[in-house]
Amino acid sequence: MSKTKTKPVLEVRNLSTCFKTDQGVVTAIDDVSFDLYPGETLGIVGESGCGKTVTSKSIMRLLPEHLSFQKPESRVMYGGLNLAAATEAEMRTVRGDKIAMIFQEPMTSLNPVFKIGAQLEEALSYHTDLDRKARRQRAIDMLRQVEMPEPERRVDEYPHQLSGGMRQRVMIAMALCCEPEVLIADEPTTALDVTIQAQILDLMEGLKNKFNTAIMLITHDLGVVAQICDRVMVMYAGRVIEVASVRDLFHNPQHPYTQALLRSIPKSGGRQKGERLPTIKGIVPSLFNLPPGCRFQDRCEYREERCVRDEPLLEQHGNRSYRCHLPLGGAQ
Amino acid sequence: MSSTPQATSAPSWWSKFLQGRGVRKFKRDKMAIGSLVVILVYLLCALAVGLNVLEKEDAFARVGPGWTPGFGGTQNGEKRLQDAEFRIEQIERAAAATQAEDALKALNFGALVPFSNDPEVVSARVAEAWAIFNATVEYDDLEEDPAAAKLLLDLESKVEELYTQPTGLSSLVHSLRMSLGTDLQGRSIMFRALYSTKVAVQIGIISALFSVLLGTLLGAAAGYFGGWVDHLVIWLYSTFSSIPWIVLLMVLASAFRGGPFDGTLIPVYAAFCMSFWISPCRVIRGEVMKLKELEYVQAASAMGFGKIQILLKHIIPNTAHLMFINFSLLFVGAIKAEVILSFLGLGVKGQPSWGVMISQAKAEVLNGFFWQIGAATFFMVILVLAFNILSDALQDAFDPKHV
Amino acid sequence: MSSSTDILQVKDLEMHFPVRGGILNRVQSKVHALNGVSFSLKKGEVLGVVGESGCGKSTLGKCLIRLHSPTAGSILFEGEELTGLSHGELMPYRKRIQMIFQDPYSSLNPRMTVRQALREVALFHQVPTPFGMNAYIEELVQRVGLRVDAVDKFPHEFSGGQRQRIGIARALACNPDVLVADEPVSALDVSIQAQVLNLLMDLKDEFGLTLVFVSHDLKVIEHFCDRVLVMYLGNVVEELSCDDLHKNAAHPYTKALLGANPINDPDDRRPLIVLQGDVPSPFVLPPGCAFAGRCPVAEAKCHTDRPRLERKSVDHPVSCWLVD
Repeated sequence: MSKTKTKPVLEVRNLSTCFKTDQGVVTAIDDVSFDLYPGETLGIVGESGCGKTVTSKSIMRLLPEHLSFQKPESRVMYGGLNLAAATEAEMRTVRGDKIAMIFQEPMTSLNPVFKIGAQLEEALSYHTDLDRKARRQRAIDMLRQVEMPEPERRVDEYPHQLSGGMRQRVMIAMALCCEPEVLIADEPTTALDVTIQAQILDLMEGLKNKFNTAIMLITHDLGVVAQICDRVMVMYAGRVIEVASVRDLFHNPQHPYTQALLRSIPKSGGRQKGERLPTIKGIVPSLFNLPPGCRFQDRCEYREERCVRDEPLLEQHGNRSYRCHLPLGGAQ
Repeated sequence: MSSTPQATSAPSWWSKFLQGRGVRKFKRDKMAIGSLVVILVYLLCALAVGLNVLEKEDAFARVGPGWTPGFGGTQNGEKRLQDAEFRIEQIERAAAATQAEDALKALNFGALVPFSNDPEVVSARVAEAWAIFNATVEYDDLEEDPAAAKLLLDLESKVEELYTQPTGLSSLVHSLRMSLGTDLQGRSIMFRALYSTKVAVQIGIISALFSVLLGTLLGAAAGYFGGWVDHLVIWLYSTFSSIPWIVLLMVLASAFRGGPFDGTLIPVYAAFCMSFWISPCRVIRGEVMKLKELEYVQAASAMGFGKIQILLKHIIPNTAHLMFINFSLLFVGAIKAEVILSFLGLGVKGQPSWGVMISQAKAEVLNGFFWQIGAATFFMVILVLAFNILSDALQDAFDPKHV
Repeated sequence: MSSSTDILQVKDLEMHFPVRGGILNRVQSKVHALNGVSFSLKKGEVLGVVGESGCGKSTLGKCLIRLHSPTAGSILFEGEELTGLSHGELMPYRKRIQMIFQDPYSSLNPRMTVRQALREVALFHQVPTPFGMNAYIEELVQRVGLRVDAVDKFPHEFSGGQRQRIGIARALACNPDVLVADEPVSALDVSIQAQVLNLLMDLKDEFGLTLVFVSHDLKVIEHFCDRVLVMYLGNVVEELSCDDLHKNAAHPYTKALLGANPINDPDDRRPLIVLQGDVPSPFVLPPGCAFAGRCPVAEAKCHTDRPRLERKSVDHPVSCWLVD
């Protein structure tokens, strides 16, 4: 892949985030490492509790400080700055400006008592030195850029007057107002209908091409991943278990979990009546009670004795990596 | 494997509760455990009073001269002389009564009784005491002058001889009785404050319980049935809450005056319930409106269960945490309200309460005697504080929204 | 459309929710949740209902189990009219039509153990339990794939997928004929979703259930259902067999839904068909076709006249002027 030649915009190394809970300290994400290149869309997939949201919030340092901490070896390198060790003041220059984030629920991410124009202008006043009039014009431009119908009118409306899709457009406009290098999108379309989801994904795709933004797309929907991502990182119980290009991953998964996950989605088109879906037995283990060895071993159909004994490492194989003693192999 | 014995389900539920996250979190909160202990002490104390360990007479009996300070505090010579005079006078009057023996038998200052029931013997010793007293009175300055101080001490030991001093357990009880001193009428402040604990707990529990029950019933009905029931309940609570609660309490308290319940606590309960049901009602109504949209309630409707069954089995039990929180808020609220009401002379009658004590301490405070108001306030503040800490800790530990 | 094997026949079902407001609490406007929905359901069939939020698919489900009383139209269950029946008259039918709910976290009473919840249902509907109540409950719990020791646990002790199984057990406890499943797998993770779908498929065969499966996910509908009802703004726009969904979809909205549904194949990247705009407000219905405002092929007629649901070929009703 040509991507490997360019320098990554974000390098995450050994990122581990722990939470202090009543039952003791729990490691929500354990030793997560990956690179994000300019102009690519990296999909992060996994089931609930696998740590995909914690990863994004750890990068942005948005987790409550009194309840969580990052292990000292964690490094999140952005333009020579280690975000994992940066001061709050340094983080403020990065957040929103260089790395922006959009969330799942656009209703709760917008302040309901301010007009959307005012909220956009506020974001602009933080990160730019435009005057009032220019800010307003810029806000309208931003709304037009995210294909909001009638931006001149919408800029003076309140969040509750907009539909879910339009609110997500406002969130994207806000995230993009400083042309960030990295956009972290945490389940941006989960709360939306499919036709609206298509609109938003299309919009993100277009903006990525226009600004060469690197997008980290967190989702549980493998269909979305297949359609718009370049590379995919699969997480399971706090671990990265496989990273590969989207083609390699869908056509030739190496980790049994990835394979099982792909198989358990109903296929479109090729339906046989009464056909049962392949499933993964059991449930995701609790982070407090992880099985010995590989975290997936108790649900894995290929398990061997050494899977129970040693946890495999995330190893690089060509331009993909996976964490398995018994990779599925097949045409590489 | 085939069947799980049902008998074990209750204890296992309890042990699960004890091992649960909430309980473990609560156990780590030292302040909360402390306040729980304090509250238990109060409850035990109230229970003891309720079981007549401390009788109402103990709270009313004259146990010595008025305005004695607590913790054996020092008094000036003038006051000591007055106290001695008071004690001699009391026993002299009994000995001089027509039924002298009975009068002497009847005379007691708590555990202190006349050293003899024979009027002759008593009179003789009273005379000796008067002699010393008269000598002491001659001095103007009872503290600086060593001779006067010596005489005063002699007088006090003579007065002490007039009464048999308690021994053993009863001496312990006596020192407890005198530990916070006496009020104007020579009654034990400690015993009055302890007796008031029972009154306070009683008022707190009964008013909070009935307010919460009434509020829950009306709130649940309003929230669940909606329509005119809702309108009626809203009208009721907006009307009641537009009257300042203290005015409502005063009106109700005076309405009961002279009635068959005058002198009991029933007017107080009634007044508190009338004004306290509003806040649980409001909260529960909102919660029920939320709960009835939940899918398990819809599932129950789809099953065809009747409305009352759904309300009683599926909705009200799920408001238990709100009932509990409201109970603890109203318990404290009732105790504080009782103090205010009694201070205004509209609350508790015919028995001591912290409010009554504070009210009676008005005159004392002007004269620089703070033991009664201090004791009543201290007892109340500690209970209220402990309750507030406990309810905060409980909310922290058991509210699923707190992580 | 009707035949002797139809277990459920719905005709011109309308459901309007009044919106009250103002000082006098008058009805100010109406939400037109269902505007004349008709379909019939054969015994043992699985009917999917698909559409975007606000299209009335959940309202339809709730009308079928009579959580809502429809404003107009009829629901015939085995030929018996269900609309207009009183609470008491409805009782025998209640246990024959049951529902599975979407949210596994709010669909179970947190203060009732599994045993209590199931017993309540079985007792209320006097379900025959030849081997005793406990045996009946334990059998049921095992049937939905939970362990016997689950019966004395409270809902919070289960994961989302397990809770959904309990919800299914509760619906089955009164031995229904028709099961309305309202987004039963939307809140679940992919791997758990497959487990629950398989379970529903097994139970359908074992209990001889007829299913109405409401979902926004066409992939799941396509996998699970025999026929699908595509809804838009309270109207059925198309009803077609799931076997040839992609080939036979005729209505522009069905096509748009299929196109917007992301396919799990990175080599088959399509331009995500973008439907412009949002679903119109359900307060004031447009005079013409409800979809006309977003339809890529709409003509003048579409904006003025409302098309009817007409059979374009055998068992394939479509509501569109432009489909022959």
